[in-house]
Amino acid sequence: MSATLEDSAATWSDHRADPPVIDPRLVPPTGASRSERLAAWRLRHHLRRDEADRVYAGARSPDRGWPVADDRAVLRFFRELIGRRRAMFATLVLLNALAAGTGLVVPRLLGELVDRTVDEAGAGIAGVAWLVVLVVCLQALFTFLGQVVSTRFGQDLLASSREFIVATILRLPVGRVEGASTGDLVTRVTRDVGTMSRSVQFGLPMAIISLLTVGLSVVAMLLNSVLLAVPSLLVISTSAVAVRNYLRTAPRGYITEGASYSRINTTLTETVEGARTVEALGLSDHRVRQGDDDIAVSAQAERYTMSLRNLLFAVIDVAFNTPRVVTLVVGAWGYANGWLSLGQITAAVLYVEALSGPLDRLVGELDRLQVGATSTARLLGIAEVPPDRAPGDALPDGRELVAQDLRFAYREGHDVLHGVDLRLRSGERLAVVGPSGSGKSTLGRLLSGINRPRTGSARVGGVDLVDLPLEVLRTEVALVTQEHHVFIGTVRDNIVLAREDSPDEAVWDALRAVGADDWVRRLPQGLDTRIGSGQQALTPAQAQEVALARLIIADPHTLVLDEATSLIDPRTARSVEGSMNALLEGRTVVAIAHRLHTAHDADRIAVVIDGRITELGSHHELVDREGGEYAALWRAWTS
Amino acid sequence: MRDFPPTVTSFWSPAGGAGAREVAPPPDTRGPVRFLRWTLRQQGPVVWVATLFGVLWQLPLIAGPWLFGWSIDNGIVPGDADAVALGAAGLFAVTLVGAVFGIALHTLVVRSWLISLYGTTMLVTRKAAQMGHVLPRRAPTGEILSVASSDSDEFGAMTEIIARAGSQLVSFLAVAGIVLATSPRLGVVVLIAAPVLFGVALPFLRPLHRRQQVERSRNSELTSLATDIVAGLRILRGIGGERTFRQNYERQSQSARAAGISAGVWQAVIEALGVLFSGVFLVLLLWLGAREVVAGRLSVGELVSFLGYGLYLIGPIRTFFEFAQKVTRALVSARKAVAIFEPEPPWRDPDRPIPLDAVGTLVDGTTGLVVRPGELTVVASAVPEDTARLADRLGRYLPADTEPVAEAGDEEEAGGDRRARRAERARRRAEIAARDAEKARGPWGVRLSGVDLGDASLAEVRRTVVVSDTSSQLFAGTLQDAVDPHRRLTREQAEEALLAANAEDVYDALPGGWQGVIDERGRGLSGGQRQRVVLARALGLDAPVLVLVEPTSAVDAHTEARIAERVTRVRSGRTTVVCTVSPLWLHHADRVVLLEGDHVVADGRHEDLLSDPAYRSVVARAMDDEEVAR
Repeated sequence: MSATLEDSAATWSDHRADPPVIDPRLVPPTGASRSERLAAWRLRHHLRRDEADRVYAGARSPDRGWPVADDRAVLRFFRELIGRRRAMFATLVLLNALAAGTGLVVPRLLGELVDRTVDEAGAGIAGVAWLVVLVVCLQALFTFLGQVVSTRFGQDLLASSREFIVATILRLPVGRVEGASTGDLVTRVTRDVGTMSRSVQFGLPMAIISLLTVGLSVVAMLLNSVLLAVPSLLVISTSAVAVRNYLRTAPRGYITEGASYSRINTTLTETVEGARTVEALGLSDHRVRQGDDDIAVSAQAERYTMSLRNLLFAVIDVAFNTPRVVTLVVGAWGYANGWLSLGQITAAVLYVEALSGPLDRLVGELDRLQVGATSTARLLGIAEVPPDRAPGDALPDGRELVAQDLRFAYREGHDVLHGVDLRLRSGERLAVVGPSGSGKSTLGRLLSGINRPRTGSARVGGVDLVDLPLEVLRTEVALVTQEHHVFIGTVRDNIVLAREDSPDEAVWDALRAVGADDWVRRLPQGLDTRIGSGQQALTPAQAQEVALARLIIADPHTLVLDEATSLIDPRTARSVEGSMNALLEGRTVVAIAHRLHTAHDADRIAVVIDGRITELGSHHELVDREGGEYAALWRAWTS
Repeated sequence: MRDFPPTVTSFWSPAGGAGAREVAPPPDTRGPVRFLRWTLRQQGPVVWVATLFGVLWQLPLIAGPWLFGWSIDNGIVPGDADAVALGAAGLFAVTLVGAVFGIALHTLVVRSWLISLYGTTMLVTRKAAQMGHVLPRRAPTGEILSVASSDSDEFGAMTEIIARAGSQLVSFLAVAGIVLATSPRLGVVVLIAAPVLFGVALPFLRPLHRRQQVERSRNSELTSLATDIVAGLRILRGIGGERTFRQNYERQSQSARAAGISAGVWQAVIEALGVLFSGVFLVLLLWLGAREVVAGRLSVGELVSFLGYGLYLIGPIRTFFEFAQKVTRALVSARKAVAIFEPEPPWRDPDRPIPLDAVGTLVDGTTGLVVRPGELTVVASAVPEDTARLADRLGRYLPADTEPVAEAGDEEEAGGDRRARRAERARRRAEIAARDAEKARGPWGVRLSGVDLGDASLAEVRRTVVVSDTSSQLFAGTLQDAVDPHRRLTREQAEEALLAANAEDVYDALPGGWQGVIDERGRGLSGGQRQRVVLARALGLDAPVLVLVEPTSAVDAHTEARIAERVTRVRSGRTTVVCTVSPLWLHHADRVVLLEGDHVVADGRHEDLLSDPAYRSVVARAMDDEEVAR
């Protein structure tokens, strides 16, 4: 029996070689000397950095899931978005520069006030004071306007970015969407959009404002007194190396931290949602341990960024505060020599105090921007999925669906269909049966134009299905799977999918056809009632009727039902049965069947084994076939 | 001193082995305030030491302006180089002290925050382990998860603000002392003006918060819309509707944008007012100070130091306000946490549990079902809920008959009697708990070898009778861990289980064989694949009594036939109950039992029962359902 599991022995693990969750070198040594402890800390820091680099590399080039864009694409994207708002961007810079500029006049005037008090015994201080009040009023006004414009700018940028992402998702190739897991996309539209939002909405404008303030402050300091400014600026610039190191390493640390928290959440969500399974299988210890392991990993990520911040703070706390001392010493020397006034010293102190805030903020925002850039790269990656079809102009002539020599592989060299020929008769019911993995779902996807066959063709009215524009394809053939998702939106939104311009009468007709018009009419706002998650709740039967009404509106002449039995919840089957019949009436139906009675009532049955149609005929023909697969199964079912 | 991650042993301790620990007392859930106090106690001295470090970190701000003023008066103005040197040395010294304790404070604040955050998450995990399937009966899943993911953060934020506000209170008092001692007149102005300055911004905070709330709720709606689009993407790309839902998203995005701008405008008002008032305050201070200097009541140095203090004092007052806000939010979070942590498991193990003999007849008193040892018994019923209820009883699970009482959302509900609503919720919760306890503590009504399951320990019942029902869930990890979560099987045993469940194709489809990765909840596998891996896992447990509910509802007839045959072979000689109406299982059964409501109405072999019209109609009903999908 085990011969069928390829590489089973090679891939089975006895867990003896499993690495520990936390590298033992990450545990601080006890009873070591000071230098040993320091060496051990350095080693821990390097190990954590390696881990952060690994997680970052994984976020930038995942081995599974959707692609991720590169930094250049991110820059291009934002350059383009900003380029489209050049006027607003210029206003933003101008207003914030004015706000910062007027703010920088105030210390000078206060210094002037001090000088007049000391040198002229207070002559004219009232005039200076009123001037300051005027400047402060101007500064407040410019601050207000600057903030309003930057909020607007940030929000505009954010809205455009997220709308672009969602529009991109809605353009993803049909074949990829059908095949891939949506988990990765969910993470991107929630977590990555959240991270991008923070950096686009606040990070970008704040970084611009901080940069302006820092630049203008330096200018103001130099104008106040070159003698006082230069030493202070030199002291501040000693922090450049530490800041650069921090900015180079920290974003990866924060990305690692974020990933560790989503892991904690995923594990806990599984534990809580699967509480019954955990209890039934006696997995409580495992789940608790796994949760603790996730937290231990997260704690390492937190320790890494904490160390990075501490290293940064150690330098900038000294570098940004020492200029006061420098100003005092240089000021005393300059005052003694008559080069400086007390007012200039006062202004200089106010300037260096005022500079440290924007500098701190600038470092923080650059940090945030880099974290946001990684998320943006993941979002823009979605746009890099190449389209899977280039629709031609030819429109089908007739309704006949013909498949010839269909072959298809998900992985190169592993064909799951080996030359299938099939000609559907208009209006017939064809049941496709066969074991799991035999290729019947793949056949269904090729017959509904979701994927392009590797060789051969699936054509309707003489045109390849995959060469039809999607809106045409959808009205020819529809693939119906077990999903009957109810979207957040109005009842109308949920039904008109295939023909979005359908008038209300058409919607009501569709609802009537599936027997759903009564309950929809009773809804508070009829067709405008909002349904879906968190809105007006529907019963499972109502949800199924909505799903069926969608197909009535689409009105394709051919339906491919894959596992559609699960579309019908056994508990509601009786009430939905009629609706389903209304939908199928007058259409060609390919039913990929789980249950043999589906097959029994079909006009023809195709038995698919190992990627080939091995038997094709009516129920009676196949049952009578000696040694036939279907005949054997039928006997097992009915005996 | 305590460090993160904390050690949490409340609610649950790993069973057996040398590592087994005593279960620590649960958190204090007698009220939100008591719960927050308990949270703080878990910190040990961390928060208080952080407060002390915070004071030292602020030393440059407390002593700096005074030192600078002193240096002007005693060094710069009289031209005394030694005094300047002394002042500069002092200033440099406090800068260094501030930097060192800044790092120490940051380290401790991170530590206290994470002790609370990780600790709360660990408590939730342990609570889930302790309560098992009873937990979702007590609280909605979303609330349980949000206690771990967002309320835990509020507790962390609370520890941080306590340390910060505590240290700022001390430094505020110190600065107040300094300014009053220097110039009582100006001191009073500074001490009064700083709170007033901050106070004038307060009336603008309320509209800001209201708008921020609107923005948050629109943003979360926007996220739901995006998630919803992704969840239904196959339909949107398959059937259509991209334009409608893109436009719906754009509309919501624009309304979130408008809310963001409107909140941003208020934010701008507050910032501009901050600039205006602190600017005017400085001018006022300096003007008054200048007059004092001219009058000879104040020195220039003192004037400059007052400028520094005036700027500084706005900070602590902002912090005190933040303190009030964060403690309020922590209280709201604590109320949610209490609702999760308070319930106790309804089960009480008997003082002297009777050991179970697995090789014996299993009898359900309610339905009259008799399961003979070593046989494959198939239970057929027209109504799936009936068999689900029976399976719950056989495994000693509480039936799915209640809805949990939600706690969240109270802060959004405006008006009305909040206290009364809270009391009502507490009453409903207590009612459910009492009902569960009554059910759980009496005789259970199912006997294995003559022993009522209520007389055995719950742990032994779980080990002996394994129920794999339709809600069984896969967990993220490797395929190997999915089939063998306990890591007890040999490779041959795991292969046998996988093949019996006919899940070879899952093995083949995942790159990496046994180490192939399964996503959370088995996302990425088809329904049929998931079901077969779940079945393989149940078979791998090798339970003395195995109850399978609809184990093949999502697989095709070919596969089902194979599974029925292989499972029958693998389980031969051990007691197995399968709830299904599929003929492919029925004719492998040693005995078939027909259930109608809560009563066994017929039993025997499939072939013999086929003559019974009631039985035929149930089995044929299974076939009817398919016809609709023709």
